[in-house]
Amino acid sequence: MKVFISLQTGFLRSLRSWKGVLMVWLILFILVSVFMYPFRSSLGSAFGTSMITEKLAGEFDIAVFTDLGSTMKSLLSFFTAGFLIVYLTGFIINAFLTGGLFNSLRKDSGNFSYQEFFRAGSKNFLSFLVISFIVTLIIYFLFGIILLVPISIISFSETISEKGSYIIVICALAFFLMILPILFLVADYARAGKAANENDSCFRALGFGFRQTFGELKSSYILMLFLIMAQIALGVIILLILPAWRPVKGGGVFLLLIISQLMFYFRLLLKTWRYASVTSLMENSSLVSKENF
Amino acid sequence: MKRTFVIFFVLFFGKSCLQAQIINKVPLSERITGYKIDVKLDTDAKTVGGKMEAYWVNKSNDTVPDIQMHLYMNAFRSSRTTYYKEMRGSPGEDDLDLGWIEIESFKDGNGFDLLPGMEYISPDDGNEEDKTVIRVLLNKPARPGDTVRVKIGFETKLPSRIRRTGYSGDYYFVAQWFPKFGVYEPAGMRYAIAGGWNCHQFHATSEFYSNHSVYDVTVTLPANYITGSGGMLISETADGSMKTQVFRAEDIVDFAWTAWPGYAVLTDRWNNVNITLLMPEERIKQAERQFTAVKNALEYLGENVGPYPWPHLTFVDPPSIGAGATGMEYTTLFTSESSYFMPSFYYRPEMVTVHELGHAYFMGILASNEAEEPWLDEGVNSFWEVRIMDHFYGNNSGRINHPLLKISDAAATRLPYMMSPSRQAVSSNEYSWKYPHGTSGIMSYFKPATWLNTLMGIVGEETMNEIFREYYRKWAFKHPSGKDFVNVVNEVVKLEHGEKFGPDMNWFFDQTLYGTGICDYKVHGIGNHRYHKPQGKVESGDTSEIAGFNSDSLYFAVAELERIGEIMLPVDVLIHFTNGEEVLEKWDGKARYKDFEYTGNREIEWVKIDPEFKITMDVNYINNSMTLSPQKAPLHRLVNKITAFIEFYLSIMLL
Repeated sequence: MKVFISLQTGFLRSLRSWKGVLMVWLILFILVSVFMYPFRSSLGSAFGTSMITEKLAGEFDIAVFTDLGSTMKSLLSFFTAGFLIVYLTGFIINAFLTGGLFNSLRKDSGNFSYQEFFRAGSKNFLSFLVISFIVTLIIYFLFGIILLVPISIISFSETISEKGSYIIVICALAFFLMILPILFLVADYARAGKAANENDSCFRALGFGFRQTFGELKSSYILMLFLIMAQIALGVIILLILPAWRPVKGGGVFLLLIISQLMFYFRLLLKTWRYASVTSLMENSSLVSKENF
Repeated sequence: MKRTFVIFFVLFFGKSCLQAQIINKVPLSERITGYKIDVKLDTDAKTVGGKMEAYWVNKSNDTVPDIQMHLYMNAFRSSRTTYYKEMRGSPGEDDLDLGWIEIESFKDGNGFDLLPGMEYISPDDGNEEDKTVIRVLLNKPARPGDTVRVKIGFETKLPSRIRRTGYSGDYYFVAQWFPKFGVYEPAGMRYAIAGGWNCHQFHATSEFYSNHSVYDVTVTLPANYITGSGGMLISETADGSMKTQVFRAEDIVDFAWTAWPGYAVLTDRWNNVNITLLMPEERIKQAERQFTAVKNALEYLGENVGPYPWPHLTFVDPPSIGAGATGMEYTTLFTSESSYFMPSFYYRPEMVTVHELGHAYFMGILASNEAEEPWLDEGVNSFWEVRIMDHFYGNNSGRINHPLLKISDAAATRLPYMMSPSRQAVSSNEYSWKYPHGTSGIMSYFKPATWLNTLMGIVGEETMNEIFREYYRKWAFKHPSGKDFVNVVNEVVKLEHGEKFGPDMNWFFDQTLYGTGICDYKVHGIGNHRYHKPQGKVESGDTSEIAGFNSDSLYFAVAELERIGEIMLPVDVLIHFTNGEEVLEKWDGKARYKDFEYTGNREIEWVKIDPEFKITMDVNYINNSMTLSPQKAPLHRLVNKITAFIEFYLSIMLL
């Protein structure tokens, strides 16, 4: 029941913060566009007035790109480096934006205001950055321990069967995926706690995140699992629609841009629902009052 | 009397056993060499040892004083062998890691000890540490028509970490494991000016060359091992924990076998060919894919090249511990490549199976010299692999067929040639072990497959099939060289097309096979110049060339083409006008530039060189066309999708 109420409350709060989500979308769109626009121009100038792009009208044709020769190599370097920069910049910006979002999702936050959004973002920025960094580091570390280590051992083993290897990898992956919601909960609880008590340190918030997650593991885990499932469902829908949609005229391509960005907005809304539900669950938690969060 | 009869019986059947026909009613090849081998697999010492009786018939008019044989397994003897020097590697330090072959005794048919006259030679590089070739002085020189019989006692130690051959745990793939005759080439055969043995060392990037032979192989090994070989199983007897199997193979150029307790044995049949597949039990669900691929290849090659002449075929999908044995061919035995989890959209197992089966033709039946002219087996075979894969698995999806990504085998094969920075470093005039700067792959596989595709684009698919049918008719179970293939092309093209492509096709081969140039045609520009009435002091009055046209909307239109590369090939040029008309021009492709000019009430809208992409050697398709109204929508669509996916990726990866 607690989970259901949190989901319901979270859903309403995320809708209430639609402007904040819009802000997150806009900033991420600008960030990615800043990288993609020159990439598009480079690609356009590489193909020039060639009609080879006709071959892309249907399905993706790898030969169209391989014929770019050294230009392709430059484009790939640009893309790789650009992607890394976008990821790192996105990581930092996300710390700022989630600072604003978590603040707007609190019970007593009132109506959404941009001033309050940016104020909270700047106030929480450093703490959120540290929390995100530490939890991300834990995720990568666990990924290495749970997945890469067994895979390395298997690859050197002469006695283990292929089916056995496959089962081990699948089990390891499943185990890692089972742990992942816990780490999301830690990050979300920590940030929700920090948003509620802006003066506390990020490490204290992180400690709270762990305690809150394991203190109410069952309800928290079910809630997170449900929210992840909802996000996966949207992901599947997007994967079914976007790659298969191949408009060939300018108008169709523009419509594709609009629809894809709309889908991304929904994706962000779902993620905000996660933040809001966890915040709501935290506020209803018996542990919180004890810890003065 | 009884004793005499027994001796006669043993001599007669012992000798005739190597030559009598058991599998095919009549010999497919000239009987030049034959082997009768009896060995035991020692699974503790990782050795295969025993004795071998073999013969070589001097079919030449020369008197030959010696014989030369390959001892390929000595390539794994130390880090100083030619193989490891070229690989810049090492077989390992542990004795069990090494591979070698020791000749324990060497006698001729009369019992004369030839061992004192045996020496290691290094005809390719003079490397004294390389012991992969021996020369053995005969007691009496072999006169024309003589049969040289030898009896050899040998022990072969298999290397660990399978490199085509060797062992890994309890998995064995036993190839290049016995002393094997080189090929005696009399003057006039292939490129031989004088008679001599063609017996190259074992190199890192080259393969093999042998006569078609008859093999009678007896293997004794632990009873729990399941085996497969290039021969037919004739008999099997058990003796306690051991078993002895006798295999027979005819008219094949090499004999290899494998043993592993974990194999599942599956069988199928195509026409009169019994197909056996050995694979790990866990991969049985993939058997149907593999059998389908084999049958597809047999059907396609049978129809377009020639019949598969043996009634048996064994192929192996090695387990992951034997991954080093994957993708190798021994005519009637070959290895494929797969893994426990293999997505159905990814045709890698099928591709490897089709490719390796193709080798039954290209070097199995048409036994070219793989060390000297690898393009004749790997290149030609890749060309057929591409055709088979794209024919049966989709013209644009012969390699990968996923809704998000499709890759044809043709594109995947052209790509390495296109992308190689050293694609102009060397021509096929060089021997394979001399290909520099890592060009072995492109020179053996990808460049020849690409120019063969181009040749097909020029002469047509049916002519290309006829070329290979004729090549098969003329050279099956012989040793064709590159020039023999070129001669067949010249004959067939002339027969089918007359002088359409000139007196012969040498101009093509000189540029592609024996040249280092690249092919690149380019549309430099499109010009549409409005007609202006003559102004100034014009003496000839108005031009006559515009008679019949409305001079108000008259254009001089020009398509400007250039040849950037060195290679000159005939190309089609398709020119599209604003009024919807299209003109298909033929350009011999020789000049450095060419302008196609038109006068009329129409402008050129776009130009395409080689509109059907027949000239796959062209290293840049992008500059092959030009339009006045380029279609940017497909690119923008792609960029929009990438943008969306990066955004989604960020939203997933960022907490």
